[in-house]
This record gives sequence, C-alpha cells and structure tokens, in this order.
Amino acid sequence: MSRRAGTAALLAALLLAALFPLAVARPAWQNTAILMLMAAQLGVAWNILGGYAGQVSLGHAAFFGTGAYVSSLLSMRLGLSPWLGMLAGALVASAFAVVVGWPCFRLKGHYFAMATIAVVEIVQAVVNGWERLGGAVGLYLPLAETGFGGFVFNRSKLPYYYIALALLVLTLAVNWLVARSRTGYYLRAIKDEPDAARSLGVSLTRYKLQAIALSAALAAMGGTLYAQKELFIDPGSTLSTSLSIKMSLVAILGGVGTLFGPVIGAAVLTAVEEGSRVIFGGTGRGTDLVVYGLLIVLFAVYQPAGIMGWITGRWLGPRAERPEEEP
Amino acid sequence: MTQILLQTVLSGVLIGLVYALVAVGLTLIFGVMDIVNFAHGEFLMLGMYASFWGWALWKLDPLFTLPFTALGLFAVGALLYRLVIRRIIDAPMLSQVFTTFGLMILFRGLAQYLWSPDFRSVEHTVVDGKVAFGGLSFGLPQVTAAAGAVVTTGAVWWFLRFTRLGAALEATAADREAAALMGIDGQKMFALAWGIGAACAGVAGALLSSTYPIFPDVGASFILVAFVLVALGGFGSVTGAFWAGILVGVVEVVGGFLWDPAYKMVLVLSLYLLVVWLRPQGLLGKA
Amino acid sequence: MIRLARAASLLAALCLAAPAAAQEEVRIGVIYPLTGAAASTGLELKNAAQLAADLINGTDKSLGLALAGAGGLPNLHHAKLKLIFADHQGNPQVGASEAERLITQEKVVALGGCYFSSVTATASQTAERYGIPFVNGESSAPNLTQRGFKWFFRTTPHDELFVRNSFEFLKDLEKRKGVQVKRIAILAENTEFGTGAAALQEKFARENGYEVVAKVLYPPKSAQLTSEVQKLKAARPDVVMQSSYLGDAILSVKTYKDLGFLPTALVANDAGFNDSEFLKTVGKDGNGIISREVWALDLAAQKPVIAKANALLQARHHVNFNGNSARAFTAIFALADAINRAGSTKPEAIQKALRETNIPGDQLIMPWAGIQYDATGQNKLGAGIIVQVQDGKYVTVWPFALASKDVAWPLPAWDKR
Repeated sequence: MSRRAGTAALLAALLLAALFPLAVARPAWQNTAILMLMAAQLGVAWNILGGYAGQVSLGHAAFFGTGAYVSSLLSMRLGLSPWLGMLAGALVASAFAVVVGWPCFRLKGHYFAMATIAVVEIVQAVVNGWERLGGAVGLYLPLAETGFGGFVFNRSKLPYYYIALALLVLTLAVNWLVARSRTGYYLRAIKDEPDAARSLGVSLTRYKLQAIALSAALAAMGGTLYAQKELFIDPGSTLSTSLSIKMSLVAILGGVGTLFGPVIGAAVLTAVEEGSRVIFGGTGRGTDLVVYGLLIVLFAVYQPAGIMGWITGRWLGPRAERPEEEP
Repeated sequence: MTQILLQTVLSGVLIGLVYALVAVGLTLIFGVMDIVNFAHGEFLMLGMYASFWGWALWKLDPLFTLPFTALGLFAVGALLYRLVIRRIIDAPMLSQVFTTFGLMILFRGLAQYLWSPDFRSVEHTVVDGKVAFGGLSFGLPQVTAAAGAVVTTGAVWWFLRFTRLGAALEATAADREAAALMGIDGQKMFALAWGIGAACAGVAGALLSSTYPIFPDVGASFILVAFVLVALGGFGSVTGAFWAGILVGVVEVVGGFLWDPAYKMVLVLSLYLLVVWLRPQGLLGKA
Repeated sequence: MIRLARAASLLAALCLAAPAAAQEEVRIGVIYPLTGAAASTGLELKNAAQLAADLINGTDKSLGLALAGAGGLPNLHHAKLKLIFADHQGNPQVGASEAERLITQEKVVALGGCYFSSVTATASQTAERYGIPFVNGESSAPNLTQRGFKWFFRTTPHDELFVRNSFEFLKDLEKRKGVQVKRIAILAENTEFGTGAAALQEKFARENGYEVVAKVLYPPKSAQLTSEVQKLKAARPDVVMQSSYLGDAILSVKTYKDLGFLPTALVANDAGFNDSEFLKTVGKDGNGIISREVWALDLAAQKPVIAKANALLQARHHVNFNGNSARAFTAIFALADAINRAGSTKPEAIQKALRETNIPGDQLIMPWAGIQYDATGQNKLGAGIIVQVQDGKYVTVWPFALASKDVAWPLPAWDKR
C-alpha cells in the first residue's frame, strides 16, 4: 500500500467514525461505540510501553485510576474544571509511572509483568482504605448537565462520543510520533536486541521511562473520560487488575506493536463482550462467559499475531507485516 | 503475647503450605515451557468441585477421593495441553497470556453453566475438630491440608530429582533443543508438566474443600498469591515456591495481626517488590 | 438523505410495532449480577422477581395480595408484566450500559435492581438522565437516596436503620433481660458494604455509650482470617458486630471455633450470615448467632401471606425466600402497583404514581408498616427485624412484638453444642 493510499484510507476511516453517530441514532449503539473508542484509546496508550518497548505491563489500571481520581477529586473539592483535571491527572500519573518504572525496569519479562500487577493491587488497597479519597464507597460526581466546560452531558451521547474519538486520535498521533522519533527507534532496538542496544550505549532505562511516562499520561486521560462519563468511580472498578489485563488484551487481539492494531482489537473485543452478554447474559447461566472465553481461546490459538497480523499477512503480503518497522 | 505470636506464626505456616502447593504446579509449568497460566486457579476450582461431587453424590470423603481428583486433574491438564497449549508454544508471550486468560473465563463460565453459581460446601468430613497443645490450637482440616500439601510438594520434588522421567522433564526445562537431541520427546514432557501442574492445583483444591466454600470464581482468591509465590521463589523453582509459600503465609498472618488486616496483601506484595528489586531472579531462581 | 432513511425506518418500525402493541405488555428492565462471584445471589433475586411478575400475570388469587392473580395490570386492560433481565457482572460501567440498552432498545418503562450499591448508583444515574423510574429493592447504601434524584425510589430500609436496629435491640435486651454489654468489637469486610456498616456501627456504639474495643477491616475472600480473629480475641469484646459475605462468614465461624474465640454474642449484619448456604455449612456452630434481617419465615405466624408466598417459591425453585429475594419480590409488586395506578406506561405518570404510593403493611410479605416514599424516594415505613439461629433455624427474636422465640444469651460454648 502506497503512502498516499494509506493516508486516504486513514482519512476515510476518520470521516466514517465522525459520521457514525449521526447515522446511528440509537443511544445504546452509540454507547457501545463509545466503549469501543475508550477501549481502543487505552489499548493504544498501553501499546506505547507494551508494544513498542516490549515491557508487558499488567498494571496500567493504576495510571487509569490515577487520572480518574485526580480529576474527580480536583473538581469535587476545588471546583476545578475536569479538563484541567485531565491534564493534572496525566501529569500525576506520569510522575507516578516514573517512580514505579525506575525500580521495575530492572526486572525482565514475567517478573516485570508480575511487579506491575503488585503495584496496581497495592494502589487499590491503599485507596480503598483512604477515606479522604472516597475509600471503598468511591466518589459520586454530581449529575448535572454542565455542557462542554464542566464535561458532563446528559441530553446526548454525542459529546462523549466525539471527546472519546478526539482522545483516540490524539493518542494515535502521539503513538505515531513516538514510533517515528529517535525514542521509538531505540525502543524497538531495546525490544528486539536488548543486549546489542546496551552495548551500543543506549540508555535502556531512560527510553523505557519516557515510554512509560507517555503511556501512563494517556491512560490517565482515558481515566478522566471514564469518570466524567460514568460519574462514579471506586477502587474496584477503576484500579483493578482485570481492567489492566483488558487494556493489554485489546492490543494483543489487534496486534501488538502496530499503530491501528489496538483500535481493531478494541472494536472486536467490545463487540464480542457486549454481544455475548446482551444475547446470553440475562439467562444467569454463565453462557456469555463460555462464548466470550471460547472465542478468545480460539482466536489466540489460530491467530496469534493478532488481527493486524492476519490482515497484513493475507492482503498485503508478508513483507508488509510490521509496517511501523521502517524508520 | 509470645503464645499469641507463636499461634499466628504457625497458622501462617499452615496456610502458606497450601499456597505453596498451588504455586508449585504453576511454577512447574512455567519452568518447563515459559508460560504463565492464568487459568491455574481454575484447576484448583475443578479440584474442589471434584471433591464436592464425590461427597454429594456418593458420600465419599474428599480425602478418599483425593487420588482420583489428582488423576482427573492430571488428565485435564494433559488434555488441555494437547488441545490448546501445544498450538501456542512458540507464540509470543502476550498471545500465551491471552490464551490462558481466555481459558480462565471459559472454565469459570463452564462451571457456572454446569453446576450453577451457588456456593457449595463439603460437610461432616472425616477430619474434623481441632488439635490443641500448649495453649495453641489449630483446626484439624487446616493441619491435614498443610500436611497433604507438604507430602504432595515433596512428591513432586522427589519426582523431579530422583526419577528418570523427572530428570527428562528438568532437562527439557533447561534446554528444549538439547533435550530433544538426547531423544527426549518434548511434547510428552510438556503434556506431563501440564498434567502434574494441574494435579497439584487439584490436590490443593481437594484439601481446601473441607474448609473453604466452593463456587465457580473461587480460583480468584488464590491466583494472585500463587503468582507472587512463583515470582518470589523464582520462576520455575519448585523449592523456591515452597519456601516462598511459607514466608508469604507467615508475613500475611503475622503482619495482619500486628498491623492492619486490611493491608495484609499490601505487605505481601511490598515484600515481593522488595525482594525482586534486590534480587531480580527471585529467591531461588537462576539468574 | 439520512433524514429520509430515518423516516422510512421509523415507518417500518411503526408497522412492525403495531401488532406487538396489541399484545399489551408492560416491559420492565431488571439488572442483577448474573455472572461473577455474586451470581448465586443474583439468580435468587431473578427467580423471586420473576415469580412476582408471574403471580401478577396469572389468575390465581389465593395469595391474597391485591395484584396477585389479577391476570395482568387491571387499569391497563390486563396488560402483562414482562421482565427483561440483564447481567451487570458486578461492574458499575456495565450496569450503566445495560440500563441504557434496556431503556432505549428494549423500551422498558421502568427499571429495577441492581443489588450491588455501586451498580445501582450508575444504573440509576442512567435512568435519571432518561427520565425513567428506577425502583430499587435491595441496595442498602444510605447515600443512594441522598443524591437528590427525582426518578429513584427505594423500598428497602438502608444501613443506617439496620445498624440503629442492632443497637435498639441491645438496649431493649439490657432493659428486659438485664444482660450487661460494654465492650463492642467490629469485624467487617473492607469493600463498600462492610466499611459503610462498620463506620455506622462505630458511630452508634459511641452514641449509645459502648466502648469500641476493636475495629477490624479485612479484604473480602481472604484465604485465611486468623490474624483478624486473633485481633478480636486480644480485644476481649462482649459483643462482636460483623459484616461479611458468605465465604468469609463461613470461614470466620470456623476460625472462631478453631482458635477458641467465644464472645458473649455475635451480632451479624445480614449478608453471608443469612444466606441459605450458611447454616448448611456451619451446622451446629451457627447456633446462637444473631443477625439483623428484613424477613423471616417464622413471621408467617402473624402474617399468613408469608407462608403462602414461600410455598410458591418452594414449589418452583425448592428454596425458601430470604431477606434478599423477599425484597426483590416486593420491589416488583411495589412497581406494578404504581404502574397500575398510573393507568399508563408514560414515565411521568409512573413517577407520579410512585410518589403517591401507599401500600399498607398487610399487602406485603415484609414485616413493614407499608410502603410510602419520602421526598428523597426512600420508603419511610420499612423496618428491620433481628433473627437468631436456634436449633438450626432462623427465628425472629426482635422486635419483641413480632418475636416467635426468646433470645438465647450468651453464645453456647463451641464444644457444648
């Protein structure tokens, strides 16, 4: 695919996404689309660290939750606009990520993944017991239409849709820039040939820290969006390991280390998850879990390179398999 | 005070031994083929249900059905390897995570589908009552579970150390290609590792079935600790998981008593982070 | 172009909808945890709610409740109630999504659920946004009715009343039986349910002049509770007040016994201690445990409708009602009553009828004075009871007017049961 054709396809996809909620007026479908965009955004954010730098984090909910809590607390206690709260949350999450990342990057592979799980579980337990942060009860944000400035919309789903879309585009743009920057180049070197990279004098930790800071900031912004959309956060729903795993699943399903993989992964995973629950969930027999689990296993077994791997392998030939590899 | 402390330390050791047994299976699978099995807690769940149905249908005590539970879970593990895991053995780590995560959801869903989400329990077991001496007292089921865990872990250790098959398994874990050159059938070894790993979790489930409620999601209560033990002891190290189990059990119970039980897992996880930070390969793992 | 397409699809929808409307259905969405750790409870609630709807739709009037056997809602040409169930998996976001789907896709006229207070919080927000009535029957977090919502109604009393009941019970007991209680210890799981209850217990204990000698919070589904029980034991309390879900409740009783911990009384805060599985598992060790409740089978002595309703559930699902399922059943009746009086499925009409709700106590299977909502949507006539396990059964021991048995005090020794 030539560069021009790629750009054209991208613009077409964006246009389609922008027009989607105008064509589909059903709020429940719009809501599902928003969930897809939010999952995609988190997957793309996760991918900066997990995909490009090859550091498998299963604790990204810690950053997501930081974003949700910082913006919510600032708006509830100090009346600060959630938009500023979103930026503040991103900054706090970045700083937190660097503090966590610095010792954890000593660890390799599974040890690193386990350490990130430990971090998110510790954060959850601490917030759960911390009454000033809402404790186990969580935080209820006021349900009052405030328009764009206050980031709460009751009358229509469209604002949430476009904010989620904008956040996704921003996250993709950051991801794209990182992939093409010097940092991205070194990150790939670290991932593919860590020993060679080290012997060439690449400071592994420095580039990994850059990656985790960016990744955490973007995940935190997703957290703020979640808080403003659901207007209720508690440790169980925003700081859980299962949420962390879902972020990585989205990227894995779509294709790790590809720009658009997580987007496709999020669309498919959300559709399967919501679909199986809507169709079978009301029975109370666990059929939805059986279907969901079975699909994941089948997919992982027969398509380990993710959907992007399948698409590129099938239509674009083997040479185009990892398009972001070209500097 | 010393008595209370002694009581808590020993209680910690008892539960720690059961943790260790769950983790031994996990670390064995990891050691042999570098796969972290997210569905390991579900093997424990299946072991519990096997004990429950043996008791509910035929009034058989979990301790009596334990060998059959172990065999059944061995079959489940080996079969799972043949049907699913075999196909992802060379896939990237993340795909493997994805697969076993899917298996976890699938097993939970199946358990709910087949056996309903109700909490079950095994009552009136052979071992009941408590052991008391010197002012200390422990539930007999807990003591039995801990003893069973020691025996099973010991058996696995002995198997790996002193049998030809165990040596072949260790050789495959150390270097798959070299082992293959020596005529060891890697596929068989992998299936064996999954079988033994699942059987260990199944035995732990059987031992826990008389003290712990049985429900489709029960694996979630044990999987995090098992992961911590595997990493703390050193991925792939059976003895490491064993000692880590005792350590974590003691830290959890004593720490919860001296400090705040709400943060007992925080203590355990912090200990884990501290250890791997100082010693990235875990307590007994090879660098 | 889009507008044209939409008009066409609207037309098509109208054509398709016409025969459906003739069937006269009142659609109600009900959201419960049908998978995950609480699925067992969720399924009980679902079955109870469905039984309520089927009784209203059926023609068997023997139960004696006004709408039971009415063959559908009389004021709506005997339109049948149709419950559409959804699964929230214990996840607040999923609860909100399902509420939205039920409202916009399934066209439900009212919502019910969700058992978990955290999910009720988000699902009722969605209902509030759309202006659809939400009747909650079994979530007890006090703050749910303190949000100023206009579409949220709760039939059950909340935790503040329940905790106050426990202390009124202790005071009454001191007066009547001359028992001495000074030192209270609190044990609670540390999610929203347990921490909320523990905070209230601490507050009421202080107000009533008791000494809180220990407050122990623990993470739910712990593999062991030894450290917690050791802490309690060291504090030497007279009464332990405990809030635990089923698994923890069972484990804690076993641990008390193993470690030889025996307070004078164990006053539990419902949940795991009143689950149908609890007594089956702990057997004789459960005897003497006191728990707050909202419902008990022995209330049938004074309220025969309770036994009749219970027989119907037994016939269908081979289980007795418990506090949770009885409240789920009641919420459907309360909602049906309002829709029937509204004589319409318009949300505003139902909301108005809900506000005017005045169901007398004899029309309920609960030991309540009735159902009337205050300005916040909270039923102000709800009440709690206290039950005690005696000879392997839950019996009502308080209020004394409703009691079928006298309180057994203190707890019998573990080895003398």
